[in-house]
Amino acid sequence: MRRLIGQLGKFCLYSDTYFEGTCPHIENEEIANSPYGAFNFTYGPSAGGLFESVGIDINTFGEYIRNIKVNPNYKKREIRILDKSIEDAILYIERINAAFSASHVISFLSAIDKISESDIDSDVLNLRILQIEMERIRNNLFVIERLVESAGFQVPLYQLQYLIENVNRKIGKLFGHRYFFGVNSVRKININDPKVDFTGIEREFKTIYEDIIENRIFIDRLQGNGIIKDERSIGPAARAAGFYYDARIEDEFLPYKDFDFKISTYNSADAFGRLIVRSEEIFESLRIISQIKVKSKEYKIKVNDGEGIGRVESPSGDSAYFVKVNNGKVVNIDLLSPSSINIELFSKSMVKNIFTDFSFNWESFGIWISEVGVRFI
Amino acid sequence: MDIGSWGEIYMNWFLKGLKKGIKTEKFPKTNPIDIAPWSTELNGSGNVNCPTKAIDNGSWNSERCIYCRRCYPLYSPTGNIDIFKVNKKNNIFRRSFYVYPIDIGTCGGCNLELKLISSPQYDMTRFGIFFTNTPRHADALIIMGIMTEGMKEPLLNAYEAMPEPKLIIALGVCAISGGILGTGSQIKPDVIIPGCPPNPYTILKALIEAKGDKE
Repeated sequence: MRRLIGQLGKFCLYSDTYFEGTCPHIENEEIANSPYGAFNFTYGPSAGGLFESVGIDINTFGEYIRNIKVNPNYKKREIRILDKSIEDAILYIERINAAFSASHVISFLSAIDKISESDIDSDVLNLRILQIEMERIRNNLFVIERLVESAGFQVPLYQLQYLIENVNRKIGKLFGHRYFFGVNSVRKININDPKVDFTGIEREFKTIYEDIIENRIFIDRLQGNGIIKDERSIGPAARAAGFYYDARIEDEFLPYKDFDFKISTYNSADAFGRLIVRSEEIFESLRIISQIKVKSKEYKIKVNDGEGIGRVESPSGDSAYFVKVNNGKVVNIDLLSPSSINIELFSKSMVKNIFTDFSFNWESFGIWISEVGVRFI
Repeated sequence: MDIGSWGEIYMNWFLKGLKKGIKTEKFPKTNPIDIAPWSTELNGSGNVNCPTKAIDNGSWNSERCIYCRRCYPLYSPTGNIDIFKVNKKNNIFRRSFYVYPIDIGTCGGCNLELKLISSPQYDMTRFGIFFTNTPRHADALIIMGIMTEGMKEPLLNAYEAMPEPKLIIALGVCAISGGILGTGSQIKPDVIIPGCPPNPYTILKALIEAKGDKE
């Protein structure tokens, strides 16, 4: 089944193809008239409850939210990547968003692989899958941690932080860097120590997960909050609304079909559903990781001139790059980040909710401003 | 729900917390555990083509290094986390040190690593270090990321909103020198914590020293 993903530069990207042109926008239900008592205020760009700098313009009577607009451009960065070699470009790509660094670089490299004479064997592709799945585990734990922090639940908050730090240490031990910087190149994947054991993570997370979803106070804050059932959804937001959307089964460039795992879905379409999907995905990612044997292997990408699109399933949904190469240099590049789509979905889902629901709904989408506020020059 | 049920719920969480036992490490009295090597001091010799000129004339400059590994194997990590510099400290903050982080253009890495110093492994509160939600209550401003146009004014506003005495801390190579992506913060820092991003051990040790704790 074909689905529309989003705007990637001059292309409208679908799950199985792309066309030159503009994608239809996700319609946001705006309430045009401004009745007596309604006012606008901006939350941010720098405030205690925000993890990154972002401006959130809210139109409200004081509690009921009439309209909301997210401005990711306060910390907009200009990334000087054009005319750089592929090897140099990776240094920039991996710093677009540390939390999704592996997803960004592997999506970029997939585009390069498609336009190059590549000799990449399955061990290397499996190591790429390993990175993305480790990143998914870390990020999903982080999203759940932000949700319990919003509820003021100190015990599970610190238990989750403990787990996140443990996962970071395992990533750091295996790849030498906790955010996969300096790991990928056009020649090899750098391995620091291949002997890393993930077995304890599943047991520890299972206990925390069972505790928080049995807690009525916590789930009351999530159920019915930020309902969004839109065919334009991606990632956990789509799967929480029952859509079977996942780049891991649609794009065959990474050999996910060789692994035994299931796509987690739910049918509530709210912040609670997104919590359930992300939690179940942690277990599935651990299953995938357990099937991968870490082997360091050199390879060679002979970079050809041409253009291509690479796409992976990042922790928050589709992450895609369009790259055009000339004389071994990047001459054109566009990014479709999952957060850019999730911001639109969040904004739509927030209308008619109340301000108290804001932080739970915001955190449930796993949005990273750093991957939206970028311009390639 | 009556008060008894609420009490039961909170007691339940309290017991769940207790059951986990003490997870906090003895750092800085003991050595870091499972440190990611490419966040520590680099040592070596020879000329390399360093994209940020962190290695120039055979010497390593932590304030420019993005740990891209281009210099490996001529240069390799030593595991030493003491790569920070405290140019000004103030022991008035010894008992209580409130920090306000501001993101002026990060990739999110520094934000994540800073947050983790509150995790049970590090537990910054045992040193009297706390995050505050407003610069009005802050003893130190922690600046992260490259200087972006849209964050110039919020950064100056935060700086001016802080009471005296105050410390300015540049966290990560982006805020210090701009790294590979741009230019550093427009405010001169008292403390610099290099890294891309810095690991939580380095951050915590730098903050302990900045607040004037005795060795």
